Amino acid sequence: MSPQADTSMTSYTVNCRMNQEAAALERLCQVVRVRGFKISRMTMESAGAHLDIALTVEGSRSVSMLQSQLEKLHTVAEVAVVQAKGVRAVS
Amino acid sequence: MNGAQHILEAFHRHNISTVFGYPGGCIMPLYDALVDDVGVEHVLCRHEQACALAADGFARASGELGVCIATSGPGATNLITGVANAYMDSTPMLVITGQVPSGLIGTDAFQETDILGMTLGIVKHSYLVDDANALPAIMEEAITLAQSGRPGPVWIDIPKDIQLTEIEAPAATTCVQPDSHCPGISEALAILYSAKRPLLYSGGGVSLAHAEESFRAFANASALPGVVTLKGIGNPGKNHPHSLGMLGMHGSRAANKAVDECDLLFVVGARLDDRATGTLNTFAPNARMIHIDADTAELNKLRPADLAMRGDLNRILAAFTEALAAEPLAISSWQRQCKTWLTTGGFQAADNEEALAPIAGPAFIRQLSRIAPDDTVIACDVGQHQMWVAQHYEFDHPRHHLTSGGLGTMGFGLPAAIGAQFANRNNTVINVTGDGSFMMNAQELATIRRYNLPLKLIILDNQCLGMVRQQQELFYNNRESHINLDDNPDFVAMARAFDIPALFIERTDQIRRGIETILAYDGPMLLHVAINREENVWPIVKPGGSNKEMIDETRRTNTNSKEPAA
Repeated sequence: MSPQADTSMTSYTVNCRMNQEAAALERLCQVVRVRGFKISRMTMESAGAHLDIALTVEGSRSVSMLQSQLEKLHTVAEVAVVQAKGVRAVS
Repeated sequence: MNGAQHILEAFHRHNISTVFGYPGGCIMPLYDALVDDVGVEHVLCRHEQACALAADGFARASGELGVCIATSGPGATNLITGVANAYMDSTPMLVITGQVPSGLIGTDAFQETDILGMTLGIVKHSYLVDDANALPAIMEEAITLAQSGRPGPVWIDIPKDIQLTEIEAPAATTCVQPDSHCPGISEALAILYSAKRPLLYSGGGVSLAHAEESFRAFANASALPGVVTLKGIGNPGKNHPHSLGMLGMHGSRAANKAVDECDLLFVVGARLDDRATGTLNTFAPNARMIHIDADTAELNKLRPADLAMRGDLNRILAAFTEALAAEPLAISSWQRQCKTWLTTGGFQAADNEEALAPIAGPAFIRQLSRIAPDDTVIACDVGQHQMWVAQHYEFDHPRHHLTSGGLGTMGFGLPAAIGAQFANRNNTVINVTGDGSFMMNAQELATIRRYNLPLKLIILDNQCLGMVRQQQELFYNNRESHINLDDNPDFVAMARAFDIPALFIERTDQIRRGIETILAYDGPMLLHVAINREENVWPIVKPGGSNKEMIDETRRTNTNSKEPAA
């Protein structure tokens, strides 16, 4: 469970709904980076007072940890991890 | 009312009567509103970093919200270390900064910085106000958010024109508190009753949740042997019969041994910080874990819990206490074992009887603990003296021990003590500092003088950065690198330059009289204490190492350990 323990990289798709506020997207991206994941794809749509963001992220740490950290953001209304793709070894 | 007046109106509504700040160009409308306000005491520190750290100390000592204010640009950037400090230790704090007028944002205007962008990683939340009518609701939400759930700093950046705009919107209604539930009590009790060697592991979350009394009731009802984190010191009270003291890098051998041998960790308000656990793969290797915290993200973060419980610690602990009072745990042999470990592996310090001997830091702290009143608040800085206080001072309450646990901010102690003195105007407040840390915010001597605070300052001066020197000695082949501070100023003369009386002591037989003199003096006073340069903090675990591998070279002769209470 140690953050450094797992050396394999897994790809996940994470869907977030956020409130439209200053720096909303920056907050999201910063948490992803700080918690040890890399964004490989991102799409965003503005929907009224919300932003719907779909991230494809890669990382070796627990995605549930990332999810719980994203859910702590005050502007995040909802986070769903919808998919986990194949595992590959880090070279 | 204009925006600035709405800010003050929110302070009044939330009974915020003390704020720490420093004026400047883009926050001038708020300072102008303060001229006509008699309900808010504004404390002018001499550096914005000290404003934030004083607000932090105020919040820690009082259990209330700390508020700091600064202008845009350098005023805001100077706050950052203090706000990061609050973030790492989950201190409830409201940060208000002025920003350049809305139309100038993004033009590289004078004293413009993107403070919102710079601080995203050190705040619980932050706002850049772009609509004056939204300001009352933002103030309301920010004040509530900073104190709810897991507390933290919330930053509001307010352009100058917004502060001056007449606002039509009424004050917002109070936000609802987050939900609190109490799941899994039956399952947790089943785990607890089945354990043969259960250990209570508590942290700063206890006082953050205002759960000190609930915790003590639980500790007494369960009679669990207990260890505390740096921020949990004081949770069990002074001389609790089953307390083993602090665990971790500079924890007692007894505490780390109990963690190593336990079969259940009952974690309350702690986040399994690396300074407490050492390397995780050897931490409590035989233990199941029940983890109780207000923050979902801390549960299962570093080590999976067998049962994780998120919610209000008061309610959860009360439910356990009720059950355990009806059916106590049967763990007497484990309790006896832990007491034996405490006797042989508690914190030890030499009490040198030689009158002319140089002063040892641990012995000084033990004397201070014996002499100072029980309700004394100690605000530490960071380094060896901080660990000696954690090891050798007997605290009766967690709010009496103010320490920068997460960020480890040198320079925290003096402004934090100022904040604590404003929170506890009749208590003795002492800043215990080192010669390195003291110089990080020494300008705040002027704040002490300005407000005539009866603060006591104790500098344990080893003429070097002692903790770095110690680690260079132990882990870098004694290659000293840039730790020498033997050209320190004359601290006594320095204090006197701020009209603060001061004493210097250097021999063991001067300790008692020095402490008694500063405590008896009716006003601020500084005690400059020359200590052994080569004194180390024992025990120590090598950074990144296992708590099983403690290095302990405490002098065995003529030592006293903290004895367990009968």
